[in-house]
Amino acid sequence: MNKMLSRALAGSLFIAAGMTAGTAYAAPVTASATASATILSPVTVTNTADLDFGTIVSGASAATVNVSTAGARTCGAGLTCTGTTTAAAFAIAGSASKVVTVSVPASVSLSNGTDSMTATLSSSAGSGTLTLNASGNASLNVGGLLGVAAGQADGAYTGTFTVSVDYQ
Amino acid sequence: MIQKMLRRASVALAATGLFLTLGTAHAGGGDLLVAPTRIVLDGPRGAEIVLNNIGEETATYRISLEIKRMTPEGALEEIDPNSVNDAERQTLAMLLYSPRRVTLPPNQPQTIRLSVRPPAGLPDGEYRAHMLFRAVPESRSISAPATPTSGVSIALTPIYGVSIPIIVRQGRLEATAAIANARLEAPGTERLLRFDLSKQGNRSVYGEVIVTRPGVAEPLVAARGVAIYPEINQRVVTLPLSQEQYDALHGPVTIRFVEDREVGNATLAEMSTVLR
Repeated sequence: MNKMLSRALAGSLFIAAGMTAGTAYAAPVTASATASATILSPVTVTNTADLDFGTIVSGASAATVNVSTAGARTCGAGLTCTGTTTAAAFAIAGSASKVVTVSVPASVSLSNGTDSMTATLSSSAGSGTLTLNASGNASLNVGGLLGVAAGQADGAYTGTFTVSVDYQ
Repeated sequence: MIQKMLRRASVALAATGLFLTLGTAHAGGGDLLVAPTRIVLDGPRGAEIVLNNIGEETATYRISLEIKRMTPEGALEEIDPNSVNDAERQTLAMLLYSPRRVTLPPNQPQTIRLSVRPPAGLPDGEYRAHMLFRAVPESRSISAPATPTSGVSIALTPIYGVSIPIIVRQGRLEATAAIANARLEAPGTERLLRFDLSKQGNRSVYGEVIVTRPGVAEPLVAARGVAIYPEINQRVVTLPLSQEQYDALHGPVTIRFVEDREVGNATLAEMSTVLR
């Protein structure tokens, strides 16, 4: 958390531009100097947790494992679920009260090369809109519903999902 | 890095009785800072955008321009490059920027230089693209990490980024805005203030929404960075509320849409209503 805060503070960017100083070739009596600086309001996005379905032992029939946006697990009938589950978490920091839209895909496909699984994703920003608070912070959590087939084939299943924070 | 980006879950088949848990919780490869968050260019000027790697690992970022159209619900919908119209294609052609891909060690900023080359005879109007900054996920080699000999492991990698609008204004453009149909909604656990924002004219309208109670100086709700873009004439503005805000909003309110503080705070639209 401390790390996140320091990052957010470091986010107050300061850009010096247009530094010019009088040059000496004309042997001026006075040298003129102009300096300008632009302060830009930044946005930062940090990924603080990944979507983790924990450890699942599949059952005789197809079932699902749900991880809520709060990270709570619901284990489908016939499955054995252990381990810690987490929802994906992102910290967004920017200007106070700023409205941003967030886009999270409806589902993600996982594949081990030959077989596939699908997880339906759910976002804590159900309306697709987030308002940064008075300190300029907001969090976004992504949970998922993973479909586990009966006798799901062995393998390392991988998948990617895209999350974007869009300024208007 | 990929090891750290991925949090794995393992599924071991009941028949084998095997449990596999791999990796530890860690995230953050590809964390980023972008500034500023909106660029408006009047005429052939340039701009600079700062991208900084605020993660703990070296990361490669891709910078791209995309066409997004605003939906009547106020979302920004990405348009496939093959489906863009002529004006949108022209927008992509007139915006030049570099670099388009950069590898940055932690805390290393990079300036992205943007310039506009409007073609001769460009019709008056507002041209807009969205610059997307996104980390490129490291490719996984096929042999590593080891595939479990039995059972199933799951690795879900989030690829996340930020997009900011790049707006080019050509010629004399005007627009006015209006607010209507303000209402409170409570779907599920969400608490929302919604209203319709409409505009007339040939440019976008951008500003801050301030909701006040008559006689009370402190705003009940303030939301900055709300826009309605030229491609639509009306959108729904959705503002998520806390339960306290939702409760406090019932009753007479004034909703004002004002220009951004940096531009001048002029009122663009105003509506007084009683929320129930």
